[in-house]
Amino acid sequence: MKESSTVPEDVKQRLNWVLIFIIICFSVLVISLWYLQMIKGEELSKRAVENCIRSLVEDAPRGNIYDRYGEMLVTNRPAVIVSIIPAEVDNLKELSKRLSKIIGLSEEVIEQKVKKYTDNPFKPVKILDDCRKDKIIEIEERKSELKGVVLEVQPRRNYLYHELAAHSLGHVGEIDKEELQRLGNPKFQGGDIIGKTGLEKYYDDILRGEKGGKEVEVDALGREIALLLHRKPVPGKDLVLTIDRDLQLYGENLLYGKRGSIIVSNPYNGEILALVNRPSFNPNLFVSGISYPDWERLSSDPDYPLTNRSVQGVYAPGSIFKVVTAIAALEEGVTNRKRKVYCSGTFELADQVFTCWKELGHGSLSFVDGIAHSCNIYFYTIGKELGIEGFSKYMHKFGLGEKVGIDLPAEALGTIPSSEWKQREHKQIWFPGDTINLSIGQGYLLLTPLQIHSIICAVTTEGEIYRLHLVKEIISPDGETIKEITPEVYRKVDISTSTFRTVKEGLRATILKGTGWRANVKELSIAGKTGTAQNPQGETHAWFMGFAPYENPEVCITIFIENGGEGGEIAAPIARAMLEKYFNTQK
Amino acid sequence: MKEKLSKLIENLDYTLLFAVVILCFYGILVLYSSTRIESMGGEPFFYVKRQFLWMILGFLFLTVILFIDYHQIERYSTVIYFGVIVLLAMVIIFGRSTYGARRWLSIGPFDFQPSEFAKIALIIFLADFLSKNKPKLDNFFYYLLPFAYTGLLILLVFMQPDLGTSVVYLAILIIMLFTVGVKIKYLVLTFIAALSSIPVLWLILKEYQKNRLLLFINPNLDPLGGGYNVIQSKIAIGSGGFLGKGLFSGLQSQLKFLPAQHTDFIFSVVGEELGFAGAILLLGLYAIILWRGTRIALEARDLLGTLLATGAVAFLFFHIIVNIGMAMGMLPATGLPLPFLSYGGSFMISNLLAIGILLNVELHKIKW
Repeated sequence: MKESSTVPEDVKQRLNWVLIFIIICFSVLVISLWYLQMIKGEELSKRAVENCIRSLVEDAPRGNIYDRYGEMLVTNRPAVIVSIIPAEVDNLKELSKRLSKIIGLSEEVIEQKVKKYTDNPFKPVKILDDCRKDKIIEIEERKSELKGVVLEVQPRRNYLYHELAAHSLGHVGEIDKEELQRLGNPKFQGGDIIGKTGLEKYYDDILRGEKGGKEVEVDALGREIALLLHRKPVPGKDLVLTIDRDLQLYGENLLYGKRGSIIVSNPYNGEILALVNRPSFNPNLFVSGISYPDWERLSSDPDYPLTNRSVQGVYAPGSIFKVVTAIAALEEGVTNRKRKVYCSGTFELADQVFTCWKELGHGSLSFVDGIAHSCNIYFYTIGKELGIEGFSKYMHKFGLGEKVGIDLPAEALGTIPSSEWKQREHKQIWFPGDTINLSIGQGYLLLTPLQIHSIICAVTTEGEIYRLHLVKEIISPDGETIKEITPEVYRKVDISTSTFRTVKEGLRATILKGTGWRANVKELSIAGKTGTAQNPQGETHAWFMGFAPYENPEVCITIFIENGGEGGEIAAPIARAMLEKYFNTQK
Repeated sequence: MKEKLSKLIENLDYTLLFAVVILCFYGILVLYSSTRIESMGGEPFFYVKRQFLWMILGFLFLTVILFIDYHQIERYSTVIYFGVIVLLAMVIIFGRSTYGARRWLSIGPFDFQPSEFAKIALIIFLADFLSKNKPKLDNFFYYLLPFAYTGLLILLVFMQPDLGTSVVYLAILIIMLFTVGVKIKYLVLTFIAALSSIPVLWLILKEYQKNRLLLFINPNLDPLGGGYNVIQSKIAIGSGGFLGKGLFSGLQSQLKFLPAQHTDFIFSVVGEELGFAGAILLLGLYAIILWRGTRIALEARDLLGTLLATGAVAFLFFHIIVNIGMAMGMLPATGLPLPFLSYGGSFMISNLLAIGILLNVELHKIKW
């Protein structure tokens, strides 16, 4: 019955090709399946789990910051964030319109924000940060017509005294890309709040605490099916500062309208009682992302309110530096307390003429009087004999040009000139005239107020610089001490006690009969040194550094007024006021 | 009649038939797993029941086809072709629309998709035309004629609009033309012409069709929108591993992360719940069907039989490759269902009709 097929051979040939094509296609499918299921399987099954497990982060409240007497300076307040969950929105246009009417953000902006969500459509997209109370109430009331809108409460940093000690406290802000990359361990995610400057940055690990969270199983519509895991956030630890709020506030007021710094510390343990920097800024502006106009205003202010002058500013120290010159000269035997120098008002070196600030001259001056009257000629004379190598040795002993080790980020190093330095930076040899300038703290020398302060600390303690610090203890949220910061000798200045004593005598004389007379008060025996530093920026910087009481020192103080005028006239009275305030409250 | 029946039973390709039956039950099982939750509120068997009914109906049609010698289609092929044209035109005019496309015609309580039956009609019409005109196809004009016939169908489904189905027509046409032995030169020429008309086509394509193509190139463009399907589908398949998570236990499927999981993306459910093993079993069954189909085409009594079988193979093959390729993110999401598995009555019936054609050609390779 079977007949031979009439199908042409060429058709059969073509059919075989079709069959080969089918086989190839199936092979590709099988290989792809193998790759997808067997090789990438594990990774993709993880994603399948992630798909239905939603992690909800609960931020830990950041630790509070208190002053040395337990007065609260920084805490957190609840802030309400208005967000939209893209996956839950039915009609974005309509929703944007309704929400826009309540929160006052334009429809287009809301729409754009929602459309630009990144990875997970179930993750709320932040629309408005720190929403006002009346608006929150309105949103709550009209919740039924605002499907997809969620309100979340987040702790928000609150700097109770606004500008007070702002540079020391610093501020927090959202982690940026660079920080995320640098710190990029699993601890951090985009949108996290971290310390950006000041103590907030330096002690970020302590203040931040640990984020908590819960993992919930959800279906494709984002409905919670089960709570899988709940980890409570661990609140950050609190800081107790060495700062005395009242003294700090007093200092802030003294410098109101000026540019400058006040540093008050206990030289025997390094505790900083007040660290004033003016002008200041309000760190609360930064906590929910600073607005452009605010940033514009702060960053373009010619007075640089964001700069922590005491830590980051470098300035010519002027006559204050004579203390270092004096110590070096005594130690090197260039001079002694009996040596007298005649001041005619001028000092000649080769064909250069250097003048004393007192045009008519001081006449014949002893070493102590040289300090007291801050006679330039006296210091030119001994400085010239000391030479630049002598200066370098002693500047190094005091740690100038190095960090003072305070618990704040971004300390400046200053500029410490030497012959090598000048060769390197200016391609010039060191002239004898440079040494003359250096001996009165002028010329190339630039120091931070904090470095100046460490000089006076060393003099006060006669050789020991305790690490300057702002944090006294770290305590748990329920008030238990976790760690006490113990005083630590940061640097030993290897100089004989007699030298220190002699110089201290000079510092006392400065107040009693010399340039620092305006700092003199009967009840307090203050010792100190004034400085009036010429600088290319304009008016002279006014300096004062000192300690009190002379006989049994308790505190060291440094005053710096940028372009403030004469040290004795401007800085000394501020130092006196500050010390009076300190000793009055001590009683 | 009795003799005919016994002949029929004697000569049926049982390998093919068994593969199809197993596939159908495999499909029902997977369909149940993917739809029982969706219809939980009402009836867990809602989709399964309906699909089963369509299947029975399909087998009925298949049986009817077996009794008709395929040589008789010469008489009807033109009628079938124009009948389908009329139906497609009616869809555009009266059609019921879902998701912005008109695809269904309602007759009483039944909704059906003429574009599915048009696939079978096209196979029949082209087989008839090509087998009669094989020698003339060396003439370029004659070569273009089948394009015109198919083009008319494509135009009509394109207006629904349904990009996927029109591509199926084209695939059937190309494979049948290749098989009948047209000059390769012509095919290459057509291909080049098609390529150069892409910019023009781009203008004709609807926004959502363009988006689908763009999303194929980069699904992450819109993870919640069109690309979401493909991403979720890949996750589902991949997470199945070797043995799968078991029926009713797929995270992606059971929690509804997979879109259209009982229609276009049903393969993802197979991949997730039955794993590599289950997917290979499925591919194996398809391979048996295509292999038997090609054999039938090769051993057919005449060119008409060969071309009918080739058309049926081309139809099923194209759907399988494109659907699975799409589920794995290798091909654009064109919305083509998977034979015997995807939920859908018209499609199920047209699949079984294609099998009917194959069995018929096999039956009649000898003269009764």
